[in-house]
Amino acid sequence: MDYVKIKINGKNYKAKKDETVLDVCRREKIRIPTLCFCKDLLREAVCRLCLVKIENRLVPSCATKIFSGMEIITEDEDIKKSREINLELLWSDHAGKCVKCPKNRRCELQDLAEEYKIENFNFVPRREELSDKEEIKLLKENKLRVVVDEKNPAIKRTTEYCVECRRCINICPVRSYGFNHRAGDVIVGTPYEKTLDCLFCGQCVAHCPTGALTDQNDLEKIEKKLDDLKILAVAIVDLAIFESLRNEFPEIKNSFDLVKILRGIGFEKVFNLKYGNKFYVEKLIGELKRKRQKKILFNGNCIAFERLIKKYYPQFEKNLSQTEIPDELLASIIKKDYANRKKINRQDIFAVSLSPCVAKKSKKYENLDAILTVREIGRIFRNKKNEMDKTERNIKAGFDQLIEAEEICEDIKLEKSGGTKEAVFSKIEIKKYKGVSFCGIKDIKKKLNEISKGDARYDFFEGLICPGGCLNGGGQSRNLKD
Amino acid sequence: MKKNIKIITKHWGKINPLRIEEYLKEGGYKALEKFIFQMRPEEAIQEIEASNLCGRGGAGFPTGKKLKMVAERKEKEKYFICNLDESEPGTYKDRMIVKNNPQLLLEGLIISALTVGASKAFIYLNGNYEEEKYILEKALAQAEKEKFLGEKILSSGYNLELKLFFGAGAYICGEETALINSIEGKRGEPRMRPPYPTEKGLWEKPTAVNNAETIANIPWIILEGGKKFATIGAECSPGTKLYILSGAINNPGVFEAPTGITVRQLIKEIGGGIPKGKKFWFAQIGGASGVLAIGKDLDAELTFSKNCLIPLGSGSVLVIDKSVEIYDLLFSWSDFFRRESCGKCLPCREGTFRLNEIIQRFEDGKISQRDKKALGQILWSLENTAFCPFGKFVAKPFQDALEKLDIFKNV
Repeated sequence: MDYVKIKINGKNYKAKKDETVLDVCRREKIRIPTLCFCKDLLREAVCRLCLVKIENRLVPSCATKIFSGMEIITEDEDIKKSREINLELLWSDHAGKCVKCPKNRRCELQDLAEEYKIENFNFVPRREELSDKEEIKLLKENKLRVVVDEKNPAIKRTTEYCVECRRCINICPVRSYGFNHRAGDVIVGTPYEKTLDCLFCGQCVAHCPTGALTDQNDLEKIEKKLDDLKILAVAIVDLAIFESLRNEFPEIKNSFDLVKILRGIGFEKVFNLKYGNKFYVEKLIGELKRKRQKKILFNGNCIAFERLIKKYYPQFEKNLSQTEIPDELLASIIKKDYANRKKINRQDIFAVSLSPCVAKKSKKYENLDAILTVREIGRIFRNKKNEMDKTERNIKAGFDQLIEAEEICEDIKLEKSGGTKEAVFSKIEIKKYKGVSFCGIKDIKKKLNEISKGDARYDFFEGLICPGGCLNGGGQSRNLKD
Repeated sequence: MKKNIKIITKHWGKINPLRIEEYLKEGGYKALEKFIFQMRPEEAIQEIEASNLCGRGGAGFPTGKKLKMVAERKEKEKYFICNLDESEPGTYKDRMIVKNNPQLLLEGLIISALTVGASKAFIYLNGNYEEEKYILEKALAQAEKEKFLGEKILSSGYNLELKLFFGAGAYICGEETALINSIEGKRGEPRMRPPYPTEKGLWEKPTAVNNAETIANIPWIILEGGKKFATIGAECSPGTKLYILSGAINNPGVFEAPTGITVRQLIKEIGGGIPKGKKFWFAQIGGASGVLAIGKDLDAELTFSKNCLIPLGSGSVLVIDKSVEIYDLLFSWSDFFRRESCGKCLPCREGTFRLNEIIQRFEDGKISQRDKKALGQILWSLENTAFCPFGKFVAKPFQDALEKLDIFKNV
């Protein structure tokens, strides 16, 4: 690797040749604020907040490659001024909306406004300076520009909170979003502002810095059910959420803490999904063994993948696995066997899956009542925090047991890339079957096209749309500092 | 200084733009013949470099240097684009070239495209230029019939496919990377640079984007030699330039004159002075995004040099007399920029919007001290932090108005 010497704020640093200024500064822990920048995504350099000074010119650090002998200044009067003005410009039509925003306290713009102490609104007129007519006109114009999409089952979109950072445009695997209109009227939207009908992988929600893209859900109803004493609220926890949950609650150290928090929110029973995973794999093996030769079987636990097949590869629709997702399998066990055993009325059980997935929301289930993403758990927790502190209940820790021997039930990790394939193939005669697994839209599409043409033949195909599998799922909570 | 030299406007009004025969009778396409039969592409680029011709779109980048950069690239596929998206308010020189002598433009375009080794060229035409589209389509068909275009040009080894691309009438598409995006079918907004279009332009291939007026100079340079061209006009950016005179002037229109001319000469000698009873206030040079020249700037020489007091820009001269309400003018700028910003980067998207609001309040007489400060901040941010040159363009006339006209004097 070639190294070059550069100077940042007068100090010498060594850096790799292809790095950008921001890369070096992040590594060396030199603070540079960013908004449109997000790890691994295309660097568009549109927010103009990460500006640094090189050769007396302000340049965006996220997209400026370093060269030998470069002298970089990251803090001075001009840089501070530019950040303050640009942030204030952005903040001026954003102010006052935080309280009702679902991302309140988990918002990158809010953090930046706090960091740079954006308190003035120099760019908007004061109320006393406006006549009533003008005020109504202003309000109308603002409302006219807002597009709200609540009709689709998984992703709630409102351009009111949008900061046009373009992350969603760049992350979307099927290119659902784009810029509509021009200049101040610009909004990020779908073609002709039609309701979103994509894969619902939720990567856009996970990457949105503000509250423009959030999870679609009736949180009020769910919270009511959780509080209702007559109803047994059951949480089905996919442990793939554990690491990301720590972005919402840094105090969580192990699964005991997790269960404790869930009980605090109001879940009476908390089950581990691994029992459902076990069932799922068993059923999938059954399907694999039953299938006719030469026919390929696609996994069905990634709903976004299922939607991809149905929408863009209808020729494979018959090959999709008919097995329900693990969450639903476990919910059906809870609502049938468990309810019978404990003599609880089926209607009184409210089964919620806590999942790293947004796409699961797009389906209707017989037994599963709701899907909550990590972000939503965090939100419910923040809503309830005050009452919870008052009623420090004696909370029993640890997962509930669905069957007596559940603890020794093996832990199958389906969330990993290739996890399902591994689990299935560890239990069958490997020689007889040929399986592959892919995650990320690029690889999946490439392989599906090959299979369509007849260039490749497999028995089992596992596809996960989110890059890196469910661990990077659309429902996970992101570390806002990345 | 030879004032009567005519390079672009030589045949204007004398030939029928819809008939190639008339252009041929006047010695048209001789430069192309000379280029094909007597020159190698490198020699042609050397001539253009010797001429010191610089881009007439406004930025003034040396044309020879740009062509050389593309010509030296090793990629097989290269593109040449003629920028005819002229959308600067008050500028209509390129459309006059098309209306009066489209074959001159085509000749220059074919030569320049062949020098860089492009096998495909585009004319990016402003979406509002319906009539010019008709003329160009005719001209293209005629040139193709005469074997100046297409495969085996004049029975030589050169091939060139020339396509007319009709834009949708966006100001920002005059910026070369936005223009390239537009041809690719993407949203018309500027791209990040580097990489520059000369390295990765249209469909990631080396691309030269040149203004129509620049291209129209090429046949003369090929025929008469670059050295001769370099003696015309100002030393730093030689040649002639099309000036567009409008506003309070007796004789408005498009005129060809050497570079290095002063605003006073333009108004008095070419424009015939200011109408009787009107009093000169200032002149805006170079479209809506141009600088303002007040009385003391009138004798400054107009060139493309970065150090000159009044840069030429697109070459338009809008003369404003004292009867004009400054609010109307400010609002016409701010409203134009508010509509035409592409909305890609934060300072420009939000800045032009707020700028327009402030100017509206200024017009209503409701401007406060806070607004004045805010205006300064927005202009500073536009100038220093915007993604593409558009931000600087927006800020320029307002900064000049604040500085030179002192518009807030009475507030």
